Amino acid sequence: MPEADALLRVEHLSHSFGGFKAVDDCTFAISRGSISALIGPNGAGKSTAVGLIAGALKVQAGRVHFDGHDVTRLPAYKMARRGLLRTYQVSREFPRLTVMENLLVPPPDQRGESLLNALLRPSVGHRQDAALASRAVDVLETYGLLPLRDEYAGNLSGGEKRLLELARAEMANPNFMLLDEPMAGINPALIARLDGHIRRLRDQSGITFLLVEHNLDVVERICDRVVVMALGRTLAEGSMAELRQNPEVVRAYLGGGLDERAVG
Amino acid sequence: MDLILPYLATLAIFFFVYNILTWGLNIQFGYAGVLDFTFITFVACGAYFSGVFALGPGQKSTGFEWILGLSWPFPIALVMGALAAGLLGIVIGLIAINRLRSDYMAIVTLATGTVIYGLVSNYTPLFDGFDGLAGLQTPFSQWLNINYNQFTYLWVGFCAVVMVICWFIAQRILNSPLGRTMRAIREDQEAAEAFGKDSVRVRLIAMSMGAVLAGVGGALLMGFIGAFNPAGWTSGETFVVWAALIVGGRGNNWGGVVGSFVVAVLVNEATRYIPPIPGNATLIPTVRNMLIGASLIAVLWLRPEGIIPEARRRFYQLPLLPGRRTPAGGVESAGS
Ligand SMILES: Nc1ncnc2c1ncn2[C@@H]1O[C@H](COP(=O)(O)OP(=O)(O)OP(=O)(O)O)[C@@H](O)[C@H]1O
Ligand SMILES: [Mg+2]
Repeated sequence: MPEADALLRVEHLSHSFGGFKAVDDCTFAISRGSISALIGPNGAGKSTAVGLIAGALKVQAGRVHFDGHDVTRLPAYKMARRGLLRTYQVSREFPRLTVMENLLVPPPDQRGESLLNALLRPSVGHRQDAALASRAVDVLETYGLLPLRDEYAGNLSGGEKRLLELARAEMANPNFMLLDEPMAGINPALIARLDGHIRRLRDQSGITFLLVEHNLDVVERICDRVVVMALGRTLAEGSMAELRQNPEVVRAYLGGGLDERAVG
Repeated sequence: MDLILPYLATLAIFFFVYNILTWGLNIQFGYAGVLDFTFITFVACGAYFSGVFALGPGQKSTGFEWILGLSWPFPIALVMGALAAGLLGIVIGLIAINRLRSDYMAIVTLATGTVIYGLVSNYTPLFDGFDGLAGLQTPFSQWLNINYNQFTYLWVGFCAVVMVICWFIAQRILNSPLGRTMRAIREDQEAAEAFGKDSVRVRLIAMSMGAVLAGVGGALLMGFIGAFNPAGWTSGETFVVWAALIVGGRGNNWGGVVGSFVVAVLVNEATRYIPPIPGNATLIPTVRNMLIGASLIAVLWLRPEGIIPEARRRFYQLPLLPGRRTPAGGVESAGS
């Protein structure tokens, strides 16, 4: 892939916990405007790689390039400010904030977050909040969460929390979404809705996606490209059709050799 | 009457001061989840610095020595005490608050506070060591010719005015996007970072604004009592403020009012005025601490969110929709 087309480029990334190499020389690139998947057996190091890219874990070796800059070891909040937004394998809503408040936290550049404005010019924050709130209402409506807007996020069902994660991410205006198993534990009807939202965001807002996903039907349906990881390494890259022809991939993952449940 | 009024006035002063203290800890812990186990150090910082700004110069030869000694009017000295506490909040915050792990926060604040306590009580040139500051003229006495009882009533009014200002500070932070971000960081620091929130910066703001309120409270105590020494800020005092906040309810400032009334006024201060039982001088302080501990345990069992839990923020500016009405934690609270 030519340098300019890659929004995210991961080179020789490695990370060990104690003596255990969870990610070991992982290399791949994600092109701008694509929806890509990161697949691999349980324990392959996918979530660890997500944490390393997003700055939640400190990179021990290798490099991460994002949007033309070397962002290796940038802390998570700076990665987010550059437009890379990650979600977690287990939903991480703010439980004692309402759904509405959960959506008002992500937007960048909130002037009401400055202490001086909060103390001396509260109207600055409140005016911006009013604009953000009306946008949040639209977003909640899209995700069917509007009736729950005043509910504590901690009280939502697992599936509702999944929708909230994506709604919240959308409020942050990112240009790259790194979603760790966004469909984990939700029913097929909701999966169809979620992948509809992902496609809509790519088409309307030009957001690039990398999803960690075990559901290969979803991957087949919405992803342009797939990266396969096993034992911390990138095993292969390509379209789903190409990967089905790759004996190594079939042995490690698709064939069900390592984990049948994961293939569904 | 001659006894009751000054007594009530004194209780009112302690109530107002503890309100300010509880709101300060609420900004740190209730809003931003900062485990500040050395809160009383900031109170002491405000008391000492307001003292040395308002007192005349100390002299080693007279056995009283302290820094500064500028004889400034007390209201200005109070502001200086609050600023000093706010700065100390940033310093201790920089040591204790960490982006990657928050589990050390409590123990690091405690350790830092212990170091400061040892330094202040043993290094006499600073605030006269164990003897502490003493001999502060009653504030306003340079302008007004009043007796001590009249001063007490005046101080009730002054504390009330300062308290109202502190209330606005605490409420404005809580109701701003800054307050919302603090609460998000309290709920899940890592997730807030993933949305671009600089949790260290935001928590430092909370730490230092809470310390400013602590410093204001300390300065008000200094102005009232006219003296301050290490016996007045042992770590047990931090526990009293924590108990007030947990009993009253964190995350909202009315909870702080209720908690400071129950713990700091009813239990803590009122029992100070029961005459000591002959031959058992330590009984009353002991009973007091037991009562505070027992009320804390009772609240944590029966009403873990406190007497007044954090209110759920509904968006009344939008058309009301039928929603589910089951709050997290099982406690229904009034909308804000
Ligand atoms: N904080 C940690 N400390 C120690 N070991 C860890 C830690 N996090 C992950 N690991 C180990 O690293 C390996 C990779 O974990 P990771 O969560 O990245 O896998 P994954 O590919 O996301 O798996 P899954 O599909 O089950 O989510 C696993 O063997 C896991 O046990
Ligand atoms: Mg994982």
